[in-house]
Amino acid sequence: MPSRQKPMRYGHTEGHTDVFFDDTGSCIVTCGSDGDVRIWENLDDDDPKSINVGEKAFSCALKGGKLVTAVSNNTVQMHTFPEGDPDGILTRFTAHANHVTFSPDGTRVAAGSSDFMIKVVEVTDSSKQKTFRGHDAPVLSLSFDPKDVYLASASCDGSVRVWNLADQTCTTSWLLLQKCNDVINAKSICRLAWQPGTGKLLAVPVDKVVELFRRETWDNQFKLSDASITQPLNVVVWSPCEQFLAAASVDGNIVVWNVETQQCIERMKHEKKYSICGLAWHPKHRQIAYTDTEGNLGLLENIGAAEKPNDKVGAAVAKDYNDLFDGDDDDYLNGDMVEPPSSPKTGDNEDDADDLVQPPGHVRRAVIDDDDDNSLDIGLIKASSGLLEKEDDGDDQTGGFSALPPSSTQQPLYDGPMPTPKQKPFQSGSTPVHLMHRFMVWNSVGIIRCYNDEQDNAIDIEFHDTSVHHATHLPNSLSHTMADLSTEAILLACESTEELASKLHCIHFGSWDANKEWTVDMPKDEEIEAICLGQGWAACATTALLVRVFTVGGVQKEIFSLPGPVVSMAGHGEQLMVVYHRGTGFDGDQCLGVQLMELGMKKRQILHGDPLSLTRKSYLVWVGFSAEGTPCYVDSEGIVRMLNRGLGNTWIPVCNTREHCKGKYDHYWVVGIHENPQQLRCIPCKGARFPPTLPRPAVAILPFKLPYCQVATEKGQMEEQYWRSVLFHSHVDYLSKNGYEFDENAKNQAVKEQQELLMKLFALSCKLEREFRCVELADLMTPSVVNLAIKYSSRSRRLNLAQRLGEVAVEKASGLAAAAAAQEDEEEEEDFRQRPNAGYSSSATNWGQLPGRNVQQDQEVEDAEEADACEEAEETPEVQQEKEPNHFSKGVASAEVTTPKPALVASSSRGRVNPFKVSSSKKDPVVPSANILDNMTKYSKKTSLSGSRAVNKQNPPVIKPLTPKPKTKQALAASFFQPRTPATNPAEKTVEEREEKAENESQETKVTAQENTENRRPKTGFQMWLEENRANILTDNPDLNEAEVIKEGMSRFRMLTSEERMVWTEKARGGRVSDSAEDKKRKRPTAEEDEVKKSQEQKSEDTNVSKKSKPLDASTNNRLSAFAFKQS
Amino acid sequence: MEPAEVEFLAEKELVTIVPNFSLDRIHLIGGDLGPFNPGLPVEVPVWLAINLKQRQKCRLIPPEWMDVGKLEEIRDQERKEDTFTPMPSPYYMELTKLLLNYASDNIPRADEIRTLVKDTWDTRMAKLRLSADSFVRQQEVHAKLDNLTLMEINTAGTFLTQALDHMYKLRTNLQPGESSHSQDF
Repeated sequence: MPSRQKPMRYGHTEGHTDVFFDDTGSCIVTCGSDGDVRIWENLDDDDPKSINVGEKAFSCALKGGKLVTAVSNNTVQMHTFPEGDPDGILTRFTAHANHVTFSPDGTRVAAGSSDFMIKVVEVTDSSKQKTFRGHDAPVLSLSFDPKDVYLASASCDGSVRVWNLADQTCTTSWLLLQKCNDVINAKSICRLAWQPGTGKLLAVPVDKVVELFRRETWDNQFKLSDASITQPLNVVVWSPCEQFLAAASVDGNIVVWNVETQQCIERMKHEKKYSICGLAWHPKHRQIAYTDTEGNLGLLENIGAAEKPNDKVGAAVAKDYNDLFDGDDDDYLNGDMVEPPSSPKTGDNEDDADDLVQPPGHVRRAVIDDDDDNSLDIGLIKASSGLLEKEDDGDDQTGGFSALPPSSTQQPLYDGPMPTPKQKPFQSGSTPVHLMHRFMVWNSVGIIRCYNDEQDNAIDIEFHDTSVHHATHLPNSLSHTMADLSTEAILLACESTEELASKLHCIHFGSWDANKEWTVDMPKDEEIEAICLGQGWAACATTALLVRVFTVGGVQKEIFSLPGPVVSMAGHGEQLMVVYHRGTGFDGDQCLGVQLMELGMKKRQILHGDPLSLTRKSYLVWVGFSAEGTPCYVDSEGIVRMLNRGLGNTWIPVCNTREHCKGKYDHYWVVGIHENPQQLRCIPCKGARFPPTLPRPAVAILPFKLPYCQVATEKGQMEEQYWRSVLFHSHVDYLSKNGYEFDENAKNQAVKEQQELLMKLFALSCKLEREFRCVELADLMTPSVVNLAIKYSSRSRRLNLAQRLGEVAVEKASGLAAAAAAQEDEEEEEDFRQRPNAGYSSSATNWGQLPGRNVQQDQEVEDAEEADACEEAEETPEVQQEKEPNHFSKGVASAEVTTPKPALVASSSRGRVNPFKVSSSKKDPVVPSANILDNMTKYSKKTSLSGSRAVNKQNPPVIKPLTPKPKTKQALAASFFQPRTPATNPAEKTVEEREEKAENESQETKVTAQENTENRRPKTGFQMWLEENRANILTDNPDLNEAEVIKEGMSRFRMLTSEERMVWTEKARGGRVSDSAEDKKRKRPTAEEDEVKKSQEQKSEDTNVSKKSKPLDASTNNRLSAFAFKQS
Repeated sequence: MEPAEVEFLAEKELVTIVPNFSLDRIHLIGGDLGPFNPGLPVEVPVWLAINLKQRQKCRLIPPEWMDVGKLEEIRDQERKEDTFTPMPSPYYMELTKLLLNYASDNIPRADEIRTLVKDTWDTRMAKLRLSADSFVRQQEVHAKLDNLTLMEINTAGTFLTQALDHMYKLRTNLQPGESSHSQDF
């Protein structure tokens, strides 16, 4: 259909309604039986202005800023428009008036009443009244002659009369209608209408036809009828251009005729077939507004637009090439071409946007698809181009539409991409501003709700974690519309009013002084459009395209200009992300750009206004950071994207929330993203995009899923898991690079998980005989896992593969060495943790160890372990899945003693020992205690760093206050070799005792412990001694194996005097002097430790008291944990 | 069994709460609970939920069936049918009582829910009494009662079985010849 019928919307309670456009056509005015007059900006206006005029409004009329209504207290009142102030009573009747209407010049008002009377009153002077008596029943409707000579009226007595206004006599009268006794019993309300302008014709709806009477002669000129009209017509209106006549029937049909040709150009059916009682033609556009007796308001657009083509050529074309199209849309071709630029406001609506775009595509398809029938196509194109010209002519003729903007006549020529209206700025996690009860923000810290109803205008702030701050209730006297919430402050902002400037209001509850609030006024004519909070700072973006940064205490800091109007902002830690309009999008797409910057010590921009990738025809709905600080955003199609720092800061879709929705109209409203554990926190909304405030919505958790191919297969699944794991742990690299603390356990877990997945993939590829793929996979593995892979392949008799893997391993080792060498030079870079073999790095004494050194020992120990592991792995490839974690804990994380049991560690790190916890492996009680020691020190170190924050470190879901670690190496080293905290004291005693025991009774355990720790340590005096004396020991006892050699060596070393040992220690230290200065700095503490250790041993028991104050050093700890390790 | 004991059993049922504190997984004999993240719903046993609620450490999310619409349906169904209809939870009465007593501010239309559950309960108790009555009257030896909850069985069970015992004694005493036998009981 060329004309578009917008879905109806509820306007009034059921009962008689009336509708008008105002003089300029800028708004629609309706009145209804609820006594309200509503002023609608457009059909989509959700908050029309209401003027209460009485208990019931029967009719209203609008002209020249005066609103006249007929109300139930039998009066005709006047109000100013659009203010709606009462402006006096025009006239009274003894019964209520049924219809009021303005004279064309707006100076007089005619009212017809149920007391059979008609009055014409001067608007300026209500004492000047003329009364028309003669009807024998309630008057139904009235119409002024545009030349101001006559007045036409219809009445329940069945007569339609024309009155002479000057002498109040009845000029003529026809008995046309059915008689009845009251308006409510009338079959039709018979709204007659005089042709505007010349006033040549008077149109009267008579049953199912419209009768037209000629002026002066008063003879029946002709009748207009249509087959679609099956019920009596209620209303008739003329278009302002006099050419068209619209009529509406009691069963909801609207028909438009061209009066000259007497042809019907438009037929429309009310969607619910309610009786239409109000009809109004837009003064400029081809729009008709209509209301029904149920109080709904509807709008019909593009009336008569397709009139010509439809009647003439169009019909012919459609007929000729009917086979090209489905019957329904045979005139869509013309329709879409003459479609006016659907006003930008409608573009918000997705469906409209679709309508806009689809038809041209459809045409193209129709044309292209039928290329077997070229002649037809050419004909079609010619026809349509011919149509265009004719259409233009037609428009020119219709002088009445001369007020149309020129673009609309040119519109048909342009069918390219349509610009999309720019999306408005929004706050992430807020619901629309016009709602009376809304969320101003819902994030991982808390919820801010805003109530704006009659009783209350207030803001409610609630924290998820009540330990952050208690819930607060604020009056909203400034009518704030934007809010953000962090663990230290609440930020609110309001738009400017006539008197007051736009304000930024911050409640810094984290402040330790008494003054917790501050406000800042924006300069004149600058409106705040978006705000956000970071750690220690707040920022707002304004209409002046500025971003203003403040400290959380209210000091103004940086200001910078944005390249375009802001869409939304988000802050986290020291990162600020701003999304803005880069330009105009087309065809429903938005054109957004994003800036990401760090406002910390090192101020820098990470994303320099890069385009933001959005799903087609979608807009942005949420912008923010994951709890770990990775930028993320969500578009209206429910796709969640995350910044992939590992791939040059690209965006990767991590979840499609629409996949989880049950219904078509259901949505998920995102409130937070967590990377560890991987959680997308959102609120399911049934049939809406956002949740209501009541009942209180509950948060649901969605899993992440990268859109990898073939995730149904095992391979695809593991690939997806692997890359997801890599992606969701890349924040660790970022954190460590920027000197933040992070959970090392989680990092190791992740590496383990990833290597595990790689190994599984490797095994799978092996099984599928895809050896090349195996090598590719090996490229992703850490060296130790490559070794495992080599073993695996050689055991499964794939020697070629094993050989190639060997090359990969060598390559890796050399690459590693180069990387490590480069690292030594690059002092500032502390990202040794990023090295693929990060599994080693957690042991304290790893510093500066070069991968070529100690290879001998390393290799031996590892080989022994791996051989075991491989044997296990190979016996049963099927059971591999269960077994692998075990040998990975040995193989990948090598002799990682500190994290044998993650769950255990997690719980013990909090100092709580679970008495009930059933541990899967039977472990000596010593093991957990050793772990407790290690982790407790770690934990306390963290807390000491992060100050008073009592937030649970093992619980990433809460946004962690991130505090930069000390940056210098000395400080770092100090933190590693730092005397362990007093928290270990009680345990220490037992440790000492155990140590003694170990020394006296079981040298063996000690030796193995030594051996274990040796692998990961720089050479000590003992090691150097052992290297020299190994030969001796071997000659003495040729049948000893490696472990026993060390054991023997140990006991011999012990027999040396302390002076001799001192010499060796010195030697060890001296040997290292040749290393780089940096290296030396790092290692000295270790050497010193050895001394300390030795002196401790010598003093032994008698210094127990002093030792208590002396902190347990790292080596003791290591030995202890190694001891525990051995025991298990 | 005492009603208190039944209530104790009911306290093992899981309900969803939204904690406002942060706590790692806690390990108990009955199983692990948590982890508790502020603002994130978590399932815990009723006893813990009530404890936390009393300390204002959480917000309770009522069970799905604790909804006026659903309960009305259940009540109407219960009234319509002669036999017992299945209940939404084997501890519906106890849970309603516990949750409404301690967390009525988190349950919308708490009073209506209380009334509806009580109505359902009354209907079921009436049915139970009626069937017990006909059971005794017709001197049946066995009967089948489906969909009864523990609490309901307990309200009638003890009394009914004892009463049947007594009646059996009385009946056997009516027949003089067998009186000596009945003494053995």
